[in-house]
Amino acid sequence: MPIIEAQQLSKSYRVADKQPGIGGTLRHLFRRQYRHIDAVREINLAIEPGEIVGFLGPNGAGKTTTLKMLTGLIHPSAGRATVAGFTPFDRKPAFLRQISLVMGNKQQLIWDLPAIDSLRMNAAVYNVTNHDFKQRIDKLATMLEITDKLNQPVRKLSLGERMKCELLVALLHHPRVLFLDEPTLGLDINAQNTVRQFIRTYTQEHQATVLLTSHYMADITALCERVVVIHKGGLLYDGLLDGIKQRFTPYREICVELEQPVEREQLATYGEIESIDGRRVTLLIEREKLTACTARLLDDLPVVDLSIADPPIEQVIGRLFEEGHTA
Amino acid sequence: MRYLKLLLTFWHVSVAAETEYRSNFVMSALNSMVTLAGAIFTLSLFYQNGHQLGGWPWHDALIVVGLFTILDGFSQTFLTPNRTRVTELVRQGTLDFVLLKPVDTQFWLSFRALSLWGIPNILLGIGITIYAGMHCEPPLHWTAYVIGFIPVILGMILLYSIGFALGTLTIWFTKLFNITMAMQAMLEAGRFPISAYPNAYRVIFTFILPIAFMTTLPAQTMLGRVEWPWFAGSAIFAICSLAFSRWFWGYALRSYTSASS
Amino acid sequence: MTPPPVYSTNSTATDQPVGQQLVTFLRRVRVFLAVYYALMIEYRGEILLWVFATALPLIMLGLWYQAASDSTFALSPDAMLRYFLAVFFVRQLVVVWVIHEFEWEIVSGRLTPYLLWPLDPAWRYVAAHLSEQLARVPFFLLVMGLVIWMFPEALHDTETGTWWSPKSWQLLLAIPAIYSAWLMRFLIQYTIALGAFWVERVQSFENLAMLPYLFLSGMAAPLDVFPPLAQKIAMWTPFPYMIYFPATLVTGRATNIVQGFAVITAWIVGLFLLNRFIWRRGVKNYSAMGA
Repeated sequence: MPIIEAQQLSKSYRVADKQPGIGGTLRHLFRRQYRHIDAVREINLAIEPGEIVGFLGPNGAGKTTTLKMLTGLIHPSAGRATVAGFTPFDRKPAFLRQISLVMGNKQQLIWDLPAIDSLRMNAAVYNVTNHDFKQRIDKLATMLEITDKLNQPVRKLSLGERMKCELLVALLHHPRVLFLDEPTLGLDINAQNTVRQFIRTYTQEHQATVLLTSHYMADITALCERVVVIHKGGLLYDGLLDGIKQRFTPYREICVELEQPVEREQLATYGEIESIDGRRVTLLIEREKLTACTARLLDDLPVVDLSIADPPIEQVIGRLFEEGHTA
Repeated sequence: MRYLKLLLTFWHVSVAAETEYRSNFVMSALNSMVTLAGAIFTLSLFYQNGHQLGGWPWHDALIVVGLFTILDGFSQTFLTPNRTRVTELVRQGTLDFVLLKPVDTQFWLSFRALSLWGIPNILLGIGITIYAGMHCEPPLHWTAYVIGFIPVILGMILLYSIGFALGTLTIWFTKLFNITMAMQAMLEAGRFPISAYPNAYRVIFTFILPIAFMTTLPAQTMLGRVEWPWFAGSAIFAICSLAFSRWFWGYALRSYTSASS
Repeated sequence: MTPPPVYSTNSTATDQPVGQQLVTFLRRVRVFLAVYYALMIEYRGEILLWVFATALPLIMLGLWYQAASDSTFALSPDAMLRYFLAVFFVRQLVVVWVIHEFEWEIVSGRLTPYLLWPLDPAWRYVAAHLSEQLARVPFFLLVMGLVIWMFPEALHDTETGTWWSPKSWQLLLAIPAIYSAWLMRFLIQYTIALGAFWVERVQSFENLAMLPYLFLSGMAAPLDVFPPLAQKIAMWTPFPYMIYFPATLVTGRATNIVQGFAVITAWIVGLFLLNRFIWRRGVKNYSAMGA
């Protein structure tokens, strides 16, 4: 029984266009022109309890809109969603206490007070007992390495510390379903690692379900087995992370080190040239021709070293978005 | 010349930005009319049982109300929008962008924004002043308005300087973003002639928060009842406070740039 | 306002015993007030400025004291002093600024996370206001002390050597009067603030709606000196009940006490229903626009 389920979930907005200049302003005042934008188009999704699912797509693909529909912040214009057995938009308190939404670009901590005060307030709101409160703060803060930061005014914290505090606030009531929208936005590598480790540990311990968006592929590869890719509001791919490569890149990468440089034209006969750096050449070769091509390379050229790899996931995803495949 | 061009550009941009909000102008006009009506109603309450507020006949006191309304409109149009911006800049740390501009910062911060909301007040104020002047005993000659205009300008300079100097304080005290609002509220005292207040108040409103120079003195000038030392004092006061605001801003800026490195 | 909904931590059931609900409610009250009081202490400089920004009654005190000393008005000079001191006091306690907060939270998107709270966001504003009042107390008491020092005759008649004594039962009634005045004012502003779900700059609407407040509430002049007709008109608006009515209770000159409370209660009930209705519509609209 999936804990997050979406059927034909859609959202379209009406926006008013305004032309620049005085004339445009006047027209805007008296006769607005509206345009419909389909932010999300008929998305179907089913996520089982305990899964960590990566939610990918370029800016404006509709990721945040989908997350907001699943948390009940936005009413879908069509379709149905069920999360933890509730219809999100009813926003029943019993539902709200089971979920949490973390947005990397929006905060709920009180700016001029230490984070501990915001935490106490959330504890009262979500009815976390004092005993649980102390225990959870202890544990979560240690995991996030911010035990000594909780008593400083939030405005004095660094971006990374602030984000960790946001996570702490969001998880204080032990939600079963977590929606993370760019939780590592703008963080340095160390902080990113801590946050990732934290999310992994939390979900393991609480069998929590996570839907995660991020622009850092490292977040996705570290945490998610399964990814959902959307593009221009529509579902592009839903399956294993590794499956993306097979599905969308019929290529593999061959990296060759030569004894001496070889003409570009000659290299191009083997496959698409990814890069040439002196004697080091990277080629993209179709999967079916891989064996034959490798053999030919070894026969024809003065090869010192040869390795075969999948192209990096960033590259795959990047191509995917550019070309906008419809699967 | 360059600054004049800049000023026109600033105002053009501000006005263009305002047209986005169609209801604003109607609202502010309504706002001004109700406020003025309320002020006149309150003033009339003092003229019961033969009482004259501070010894000022009804129409003379009405001139004070009119001048206050003009000053209020001036402040809404030129001063308040800029003050709001300055506190925002300081709070968000974007003041740095202004400091990097090859333009005098005080000029930039004082004239960058313009709001049309104050215009109804200015018009109503002028109307009431002229109406009251015509019904004074004896009615005012047109030259009286011209002469009266000088201390009004001085009052505006004074108002600007004090407001800017107070706004400068936000460089150090970033949380004091309502400091000019507090000043604005105290200025309400200028709706009435200074002689209507008890002695202690008069001292405060002359020397500490010089409201007397903003409305009462210009009204007295128009009515031909001003003593020249006061008039000269008003001019000196205005110029000194302008110079002070300039110096104070420079001082604040030095401490700002040395602190935030 | 209905009490905040109460739920246990790990069950979906909402039917808790009443005692448990009360405990939860009191805990929320305590924590909210403590946190917001701490926040307001951070803004103490700002709060001091607010005391000055709401000092209009003290300006009017000067004018009316002087006027009543020079000529005969409905109130004696001493009564004027007491009246405006009471007005200043009441004014300090009925200050409402929820519209600034709410509009900012809508525009900046900060309201969004709070919509996911299992508790109505209005409670945060209520807690913030009550805490701010508390933080304001020392400042306005100081200012009031200063005024009494300037005009000791407000409390002490030097000619007869007697001290002014308040009517204690009216003074007692002033407390509920002030707080219901505050609630009425809060509901008016909060209801208008909800307009931010649809339009920008709702503050100008509020300013316009509250303009008569300055002149009809008894802040600029006691209603006793109004011409009879103006007095009647004013009493038909909600404004005198926000300042004049509580202030006359403080000074012990109140008449029509029952009527005063009845009017305030009627306003509060009506505004509350309207507020909840608009809130539900507003959240729906906000969600449709993208939260």
